[in-house]
Amino acid sequence: MENQADRMLRANQKVTETAGISLKKRVRPGEFIIQGFLFFAGAFSILTTLGILYALGKEAMLFFSSPEVNLVEFFTGTRWQPQALQFGILPLAIATLITTLIAMLVAIPLGLFVAIYLSEFASPGLRNLLKPVLEVLAGIPTVVYGYFALTFMTPLLRSVFGRDVVDIYNTASAGLVMGILILPLITSMAEDALSAVPRSLREAAYSLGATRLETAIQVVMPAAISGLAAAFIIGISRAVGETMIVAIAAGAGPNLTLNPFKGAETMTGHIVRISGGDLSYDSIDYNSVFAIGLMLFFLTFTLNIISRAFVQRFREVYE
Amino acid sequence: MYRKLRFSFAVLMSLTLLLSACAGTETTVEPQASQPTQASEVEEEPEVLGDTGGLPDVDPASVSGNVLIAGSSTVYPLTERMVERFIEEGYSGQITVDSVGSGAGLERFCVAGETDIAAASRGIEEEEIANCANIGRTPIEFRVGTDALAIAVSTENDFLTGVTLEQLAQIFSSDAVLWSDVNPEWPTEDILRFSPGTDSGTYDYFVEAVMMPVYGEEGDAAESAILNSENIQFSEDDNVLVQGVQGSPYAIGYFGYAYYIENEGTLKALAVDDVVPNEESAESGDYPLARPLFLYSDAQIMQSKPQVADFLNFYLTYVNDEILSVGYFPASDAAIEEAKQAWLTNNQ
Amino acid sequence: MIRPQNTYDRESESRGLSPLFDENLPTRHKISTVWRFIFRLSTIIAVIFLALLLYNITNQAFGYVAIENRVDPASLAVNEIPIEEMEKDVLIALLRENISSGLMRQLEREKPLSEHTRDEVYALVIEKVVRPEAVRTWLLTESLFQRNEIRAQMAQEYPQAELTFKSWLSPQFLKVPQSSEALHAGIRTAILGSLWTVGITILVAFPLGVGAAIYLEEYAGNSWTNRVIQTNINNLAGVPSIIYGMLGLAIFVRSLETFTSGAALGFSDPTTANGRTILSAGLTLTLLVLPLIIINSQEAIRAVPGSLRQASYGVGATRWQTVWHHVLPSALPGILTGTILSISRAIGETAPLVVVGAATFIAFDPDSPFSKFTTLPIQIYQWTSRPQAEFRNLAAAAILALLVLLLSMNAIAILLRNRFHRQGGN
Repeated sequence: MENQADRMLRANQKVTETAGISLKKRVRPGEFIIQGFLFFAGAFSILTTLGILYALGKEAMLFFSSPEVNLVEFFTGTRWQPQALQFGILPLAIATLITTLIAMLVAIPLGLFVAIYLSEFASPGLRNLLKPVLEVLAGIPTVVYGYFALTFMTPLLRSVFGRDVVDIYNTASAGLVMGILILPLITSMAEDALSAVPRSLREAAYSLGATRLETAIQVVMPAAISGLAAAFIIGISRAVGETMIVAIAAGAGPNLTLNPFKGAETMTGHIVRISGGDLSYDSIDYNSVFAIGLMLFFLTFTLNIISRAFVQRFREVYE
Repeated sequence: MYRKLRFSFAVLMSLTLLLSACAGTETTVEPQASQPTQASEVEEEPEVLGDTGGLPDVDPASVSGNVLIAGSSTVYPLTERMVERFIEEGYSGQITVDSVGSGAGLERFCVAGETDIAAASRGIEEEEIANCANIGRTPIEFRVGTDALAIAVSTENDFLTGVTLEQLAQIFSSDAVLWSDVNPEWPTEDILRFSPGTDSGTYDYFVEAVMMPVYGEEGDAAESAILNSENIQFSEDDNVLVQGVQGSPYAIGYFGYAYYIENEGTLKALAVDDVVPNEESAESGDYPLARPLFLYSDAQIMQSKPQVADFLNFYLTYVNDEILSVGYFPASDAAIEEAKQAWLTNNQ
Repeated sequence: MIRPQNTYDRESESRGLSPLFDENLPTRHKISTVWRFIFRLSTIIAVIFLALLLYNITNQAFGYVAIENRVDPASLAVNEIPIEEMEKDVLIALLRENISSGLMRQLEREKPLSEHTRDEVYALVIEKVVRPEAVRTWLLTESLFQRNEIRAQMAQEYPQAELTFKSWLSPQFLKVPQSSEALHAGIRTAILGSLWTVGITILVAFPLGVGAAIYLEEYAGNSWTNRVIQTNINNLAGVPSIIYGMLGLAIFVRSLETFTSGAALGFSDPTTANGRTILSAGLTLTLLVLPLIIINSQEAIRAVPGSLRQASYGVGATRWQTVWHHVLPSALPGILTGTILSISRAIGETAPLVVVGAATFIAFDPDSPFSKFTTLPIQIYQWTSRPQAEFRNLAAAAILALLVLLLSMNAIAILLRNRFHRQGGN
């Protein structure tokens, strides 16, 4: 006995037979090729990372395996002079540390405060005015900041602290300007984190009689802490990797000093100075620069992964 | 709303551009010829074509193709001037000049084979000649000028007008940290040292001419002395050194004379062994730190890229016209003749 | 801090207020006001930073210049007729006497001197013989507010010089290549180099980036490979730009030298071909910009509502057809905005290109991807490194040009996005 479904099926079959259409799935080679290309595009990024690891790693391995280089000395030695076969990374690492520290001292408090202001206190109109200002700050190329450091910040520091205290190339001026560079980055990430906290938490706090400040500091901030931590870590990573500001304003030549008013070269500044000259093929100088690059890569990669882990955590809590 | 802000920023910037377009009275724009006139004197230049000391006349406008030059930062301002003149007189091809240091320049020439001409502020070394041989190049030396290495301090420095060679070696060594360590009459302040980097021919020359006589030629005692000194900054970019020296009365640096001349208002060149560096003392050899400036090329390059030969020809012919205003000193006539002879021999 | 209150205050209760609130309310408000002030201050400081930056640059880009003639025009007078009043023939003779024969030959070749007007010849005499140079520059603020001091200083230190107000950023500045003479230097080669490099970057990075984004959003399941790819891209976005430069040096300039120098395709002579070309620079920037484009495009594609896709599948479209005809068009504004922002980041990059090898002196227009190059940020870097004050002014002018370029790009990106939003209405 035919039911309606069977009748419809028969009708369809008749229609398709008459029209000559096959309803079988058509093989489309074009789709295949395109899918292949898209997969390649996606996987290309893996190639990039592999490329970085290979390019840096190969030369760095050559460096570390050469007889003049001693791993302990590399990490603890206090002089970096490839010509004299001294390969202690401390002067460069400490200079990087000092500039990063100064940059964070500027960027973290200011960035956080601005983020709190924007997300908790500012009116929408003010927020729409201020966000583009911060975007502009973030979009300015770093070489411009380097110029600013050399032509404005250094003379300023010299007039405030005295010309004999502050050298013409110094890490303080580079660090301060780096802080200005990183400020918008921290602000935008921190603001995202603070805004992601649901209104319900704030409203609960208000209903208990808390002032706006108390809500912001004691309720919202702790709730967003992983996002804030992520922002700070990204800021640190950016400061470590920053090149042009230190190349222009911080000094040339590895110099082991804790005094921020003296010139010193950071890891990134050293790489730029040496490659601006030339990198002799397969000499120990060449390989040493790649060793520094590898250190830098691992450092920033690790910081970024930690930061991302934090962001994942805070996202999960509210979604 | 922030789109409006963005827009007004762009408008502001465009207004700035407009303001700039309206203001300013400027003369015409082409890169200019460099004339070796001094102050307000006008030198007659009855340059007769063919009066080039035996070298065939070259018309830059008929030269085409590219030329790649890299090397000493000392020689750089001189080469830059010659290139600009070459372009002004009609050359329409592509010349690039890189200021990377003598060592790096010779490496690009002899190891990588990337350049046509290497510029150096020191003579080529045995090892570099061997490297060149490995890639089938035989470097030909062309002496183009003389530099009087300037030992510079800031004009704010009030305790130095001259040093002896020995004091100079001490100043740049790890033996001294304060100025008073070298001479008790000098201030008890840190010596802030600025030196060209290890890739620089100027550095090599300094080690050889200043450090070795005091610290010996054995091993690398002389080099270690300077490399291990305190408060020293190295850079292959002489401009960085100039800025460093300008910044403090207790700073001292050394670089090509042209860099000192360009910044005469803020720098002071010290006399060495009581001889002040200038044209006479450099040419006569009285100034102890007078050193030659060279260009290197290879016969095969000159054959396969005639524009390189033409450029070198032009350089050798007119370098003495330009060299004084750049800030260096002419090589002796004999040396220039020799260079021209080398060119002729390799371009038969 | 809200402190727990254990005592019971009769008086407060009679006022109708709970004792908990009354105790430290004024203190709390005071603290709140103080901190609010601090937050506001921080914001103002951030805005001041930007203002200071722009002020510093603009200050150096315009101002008075003391221009001195290298050769005193008075000394060129013939028969006591000063050059301003000389006839054209006399000027031509003067020119011939004072410049090199090679230059004379070139000038005649460009346009015979007899065909020039008298004023043109006079201008040539000024430019080639008298040759003014800048000896001292002043800041904009000084030029506006300290005119008298400047004039006094001029009279004292540079009696021979002339004072003019100069805008270092001018149409001339944009059209002329670099030069060792500050008055004649410009950013032509740098701008062209930047445009060529970024052109290559867009050409390669856009399809690769958008392709990867499409793959990750539309095609990829949640397999382990795809998660690794995603994490990898996110992490690459945070790698310092100089690392990309070193990668570019090792791979494009060195390993792939035959390709990037053009030798493989016969574009450049084999004697001195090397990989420091625009192609290497463009490819290096591609690697740098790729993660950013991917992340931005992913967000744009993710924003397309699922209903659109379902509707498309519903009428029998294949996956690629859905993507191409429905998803991409509606994600396009977001993708374009993200791409333009990434490109403006690429234009501003300096460190990777210094490592890859931009030329120190280059005065010709690039004519192929295998040309040597310099870019605008690198020119700024080189000029900033020079100690003479005039080069600071040049650097400031170049920075203004760069900032205008970047701001316009950002403005275009935002306009595009708004326009498409209105049009598409998705």
